[in-house]
Amino acid sequence: MTVTESPQSSAHHIGDKVVLEANDVTMRFGGLTAVDSVSMTVHEGEIVGLIGPNGAGKTTFFNCLTGLYIPTEGKVTLNGATLPPKPLKVVRAGMARTFQNIRLFNNMTALENVMVGRYCRTSSMALTSILRGPKFRREEAETRERAQELLDYVGLGSATEILARNLPYGDQRRLEIARAIATDPQILLLDEPTAGMNPRETEETMHLIFKIRESGLAVVVIEHDMRFIFNLCDRVLCLVQGEVLIEGSPGEVQSDPRVIEAYIGGDAEDDEEEENA
Amino acid sequence: MDAFAQQLVNGLTLGSLYALIAVGYTVVYGIIQLINFAHGEIFMIGAFGALSTWIVLFKGQTALWMLPVMIVGAIAASVVTAVIMERAAYRPLRGAPRLAPLITAIGISVFLQEGVRLLYGKVPGFPDAKQKVPFPVIDGITGQSWNPGNIVIQRAAAFTILALVVCAIGLWIFVNRTKTGRAMQAVSQDPDTARLMGINVNRIIVVAFIIGATLAAIAGVAQGLQVTNINFKMGFLAGLKAFTAAVLGGIGNVWGAVLGGLTLGIVESMAVQFVPGTFGGSPWKDVWAFAILILVLVFRPQGLLGAKVVDRA
Amino acid sequence: MSTVLEHGNDSRVDGIRNRLAPRAAGLALAGGVVLLLSGLLSWSYDDRILGDISIRFYPAGIQVYVMVLGAVAIALAVLLFRRPGWLDPGRGLKAIGLGSLVFVAGALLAITVQAGGLVNVNEGAWVALVGALLVLAGGGLAAEVDLDVRTWPRLKSSYEILIIVLALAMLLFVTAYTLDVENSATFGTLLVTILTVTVGLLMAGLGEYIGFIGQNNRRPLVLSAFLVAFLFPFTQGGSNANMSIATQILIFAATALGLNIVVGLAGLLDLGYIAFLGTGAYVGAMLSESTFATIGWKPPFFVVMLCGMAVAAVFGLIIGSPTLRVSGDYLAIVTLGFGEIFRLAMFNLDGNNGPDLTNGPNGIPGIPDLNFFGFDFGETHTVAGIPLGRFSNYYFLLLLLVALVILVFSRLNDSRIGRGWVAIREDERAAEAMGVNVFGLKLLAFAVGASLAGLAGTIKAHQDTSVTPDQYIFLESAFLLAAVVLGGMGTVAGVLVGATILKLLPEKLREVNDYRLFSFGLLLVLMMRFRPEGLVPSKRRQLEFHEDDEHLVELAQTEHLEESK
Repeated sequence: MTVTESPQSSAHHIGDKVVLEANDVTMRFGGLTAVDSVSMTVHEGEIVGLIGPNGAGKTTFFNCLTGLYIPTEGKVTLNGATLPPKPLKVVRAGMARTFQNIRLFNNMTALENVMVGRYCRTSSMALTSILRGPKFRREEAETRERAQELLDYVGLGSATEILARNLPYGDQRRLEIARAIATDPQILLLDEPTAGMNPRETEETMHLIFKIRESGLAVVVIEHDMRFIFNLCDRVLCLVQGEVLIEGSPGEVQSDPRVIEAYIGGDAEDDEEEENA
Repeated sequence: MDAFAQQLVNGLTLGSLYALIAVGYTVVYGIIQLINFAHGEIFMIGAFGALSTWIVLFKGQTALWMLPVMIVGAIAASVVTAVIMERAAYRPLRGAPRLAPLITAIGISVFLQEGVRLLYGKVPGFPDAKQKVPFPVIDGITGQSWNPGNIVIQRAAAFTILALVVCAIGLWIFVNRTKTGRAMQAVSQDPDTARLMGINVNRIIVVAFIIGATLAAIAGVAQGLQVTNINFKMGFLAGLKAFTAAVLGGIGNVWGAVLGGLTLGIVESMAVQFVPGTFGGSPWKDVWAFAILILVLVFRPQGLLGAKVVDRA
Repeated sequence: MSTVLEHGNDSRVDGIRNRLAPRAAGLALAGGVVLLLSGLLSWSYDDRILGDISIRFYPAGIQVYVMVLGAVAIALAVLLFRRPGWLDPGRGLKAIGLGSLVFVAGALLAITVQAGGLVNVNEGAWVALVGALLVLAGGGLAAEVDLDVRTWPRLKSSYEILIIVLALAMLLFVTAYTLDVENSATFGTLLVTILTVTVGLLMAGLGEYIGFIGQNNRRPLVLSAFLVAFLFPFTQGGSNANMSIATQILIFAATALGLNIVVGLAGLLDLGYIAFLGTGAYVGAMLSESTFATIGWKPPFFVVMLCGMAVAAVFGLIIGSPTLRVSGDYLAIVTLGFGEIFRLAMFNLDGNNGPDLTNGPNGIPGIPDLNFFGFDFGETHTVAGIPLGRFSNYYFLLLLLVALVILVFSRLNDSRIGRGWVAIREDERAAEAMGVNVFGLKLLAFAVGASLAGLAGTIKAHQDTSVTPDQYIFLESAFLLAAVVLGGMGTVAGVLVGATILKLLPEKLREVNDYRLFSFGLLLVLMMRFRPEGLVPSKRRQLEFHEDDEHLVELAQTEHLEESK
């Protein structure tokens, strides 16, 4: 286990409490080892960056954390409790994610998308829904209200009734974040949240992530945009070919020659494996 | 022991029939990931095609030499139906939600069944097809059975097994030795790249339908010779069982279809003989067949030769 | 360069069209008047066919229908003069013209065949032909209107409700009138008329407007629809013929609505759904007072209904359980397999093969009529001087059932669960990653759908008085699916329309009854090819089937905004 103190002293105080802990997570597909005993610890209110060239196993690692894949070896704990490898239980336990290639519910409105995120925190079942008792009405109203609140929070307050498919690209990414926060997570995993964004949108996203952190959530970000990562994160992990190459403060990672070599000299394997996840 | 050997023969016969039909499901699936549920009707159309050929050309005769001509007639009927079906109904739906081709297939299936039932008898000289229609008797095929030991081997059963062997060899040669066959393999592995390499994917898809229809037509003739009558409903159950066989063997895999067909046929025959108690015997045999279908789909969707990973999402 | 030229051409064509537009209205108006007048003329020398259409100035049968067509054409032509932005009378006129042409052609054919030769046709038919052509020409020449839904006139709420009530009353009248027509040829021409008028008004954009009004006045719409359905038996004067068809439609519709929960809402294709109706029917029969019932327990019908629902729901859970592992086409086949196993088991369980539960192929006959607290469903009761026969009694009960199913359907659709279903349809893995209990919701869809069908089955057993396995073959499942697909996946109104069409037409058009399945097979293929979202589509489904139709997306967008205001 490697715990590195964050020397990046932003004004923000990072809690001592460990939210997420991944221990020697390994994922093999047949003969290919996509993730090789990766360990990671995330504290309350911390932003951790995950970088690495294409095919380094970043998204696969995410999928292992969120239960989409069952890791071949290793253990993931959230608040000290072991996470079962079931996406559903992972969300309920308090970990939410976005996807590298946006996976919104295209033919639902922005508001409905976020309301789906509230699903696991509400409990009206069939009979309640049919009878429409006071509990159902209250819960529906609360769901709607909270969803609208979250849309305002990410800056989509006026896009409530627009179908997800009609939103501009950047807004879709933000909607995905709102939908993830709707599940009341303690930790948020963002898979390339600024891919395809222009500099201004990227800037806005950075502020949004800071704001999310201020509210007490821990955030793990995969990104290729180095400037973005080094400005944003308290700590950065660099993965190469499924292994942790280096872990440390943005300053340390930035200046490490191995990182530069990994990006420039590294073999350009495509990450189709990850895309197909 | 005799009972076992007898059921083995019955199972191989039944299995050959399933295998011939199953190839049609599997070649089409291998290329466009479409499950053509109307394929059972192509088998039925083949049987009626053979009957029609006989009525038009040889009515009242029983000579063996007519059989090849009848088979050609059967293949023609099936192939024409299959090609029209692909062109008019399936092709416009490529890229549509998965529900669409499936519902279309059900529509085609009902349309073809009812079409034969209602319209076949309206053609002058053709018998009414609302009930069973007798299939012509052919010298040498519908004659005395062979009885080695205490086992009965119907000549028509031997014809069915032989038909499968011949078709399998022909198919092997086609897939591995011809340009079109190799193009087919290419398309099934990667349609986009195949297209970039100059392969006409649409043509290959039609070829796949034609191959399936050809084999189904031969199966239709074999079925007609075996049970000596045919009817408009014969494709439904046979199609479903052949589909089970295709899945059992690993859908998309041609040899899997053959293996799956034979396995299913033998299991079904053995079940009729050896499942004890009141739930055994022929009244329940279709129930067992459906139970196998469900179990295979649920627990072994990749099939016995599960080389291809199937994600049926 | 070329685009500029084309554009120039386009605008020139548009110019010509624009100049012709006022004349188009005139043409259409003239055509409408000619059509109207042709109804007053004699159509045939022979007075024995199609009612009596040989007398002048005394319209009967098809002459009345042609006058209706003429009147609608005139109304649309007048609207074409005024050119409101929210209607496109031109398109409507085109449809009316085309329909009238079909109508006249059909009439000519009928006269030729029935009276023996084209010489029997009188001037009226030829005049009508001219009228139809004029209307068609007028509609074709009219400038196309880009419908702007935002300019829909908003009336006072009470007026809007009045429009709804009038439209529904009209529906009741037309239905009652249509059902009274016995002659197949007349029924055919009437059908063409109704279709023409409906399509014409829909093409003109009136359907969307009515839908918009309905959207604004949901409750009155639903209430008056039920009132109309409730009044229907009173229009039948105690006759059982039509009421028998109506009860069949209701059972069929209730089952199809249950299926629509599974297919339309949860997006799971179930090809063995008829087994749930069968389960309910067998439970109803086995627990009935019939002397052939195989179980000694005879609880009151209320308990039987609950049993039917419970057993069907358990079967639903069993049939739905493979959804944990399979989906898509494979799931469809698994459900088909279960459906066939059900039928075969009912066929076999006669005591010789397994225990005696169902009397095998003979089924359970002699099921007595229902009796609620002394109200005997088998007898005729007279209300306000109007006799209501056996089928009317069942009709009222089934109407309640359909109301219940609609309630369950629409309330589930508009809830947390409904949103979960849509999410699963859209992207199953994303839904799961967002905490939606995918497997649980799929099972729920199966269980709810199955229990509703089971409930319908218990009533069906008593209404049919016997239950046999051959009522529950695969084709019936396919038929149910056809009702859902034809009407519109995921909508209530669509399924009601689909069920009515599929059950009513074969009953009324006896000559083509044999072609029922044949044409419905063809219908499925054509629907999937040309209108996969059904006749009354749900907006979302429409989007799912036409992923790349930008215009549709925009339209849906506008309407979403409208609704939110």
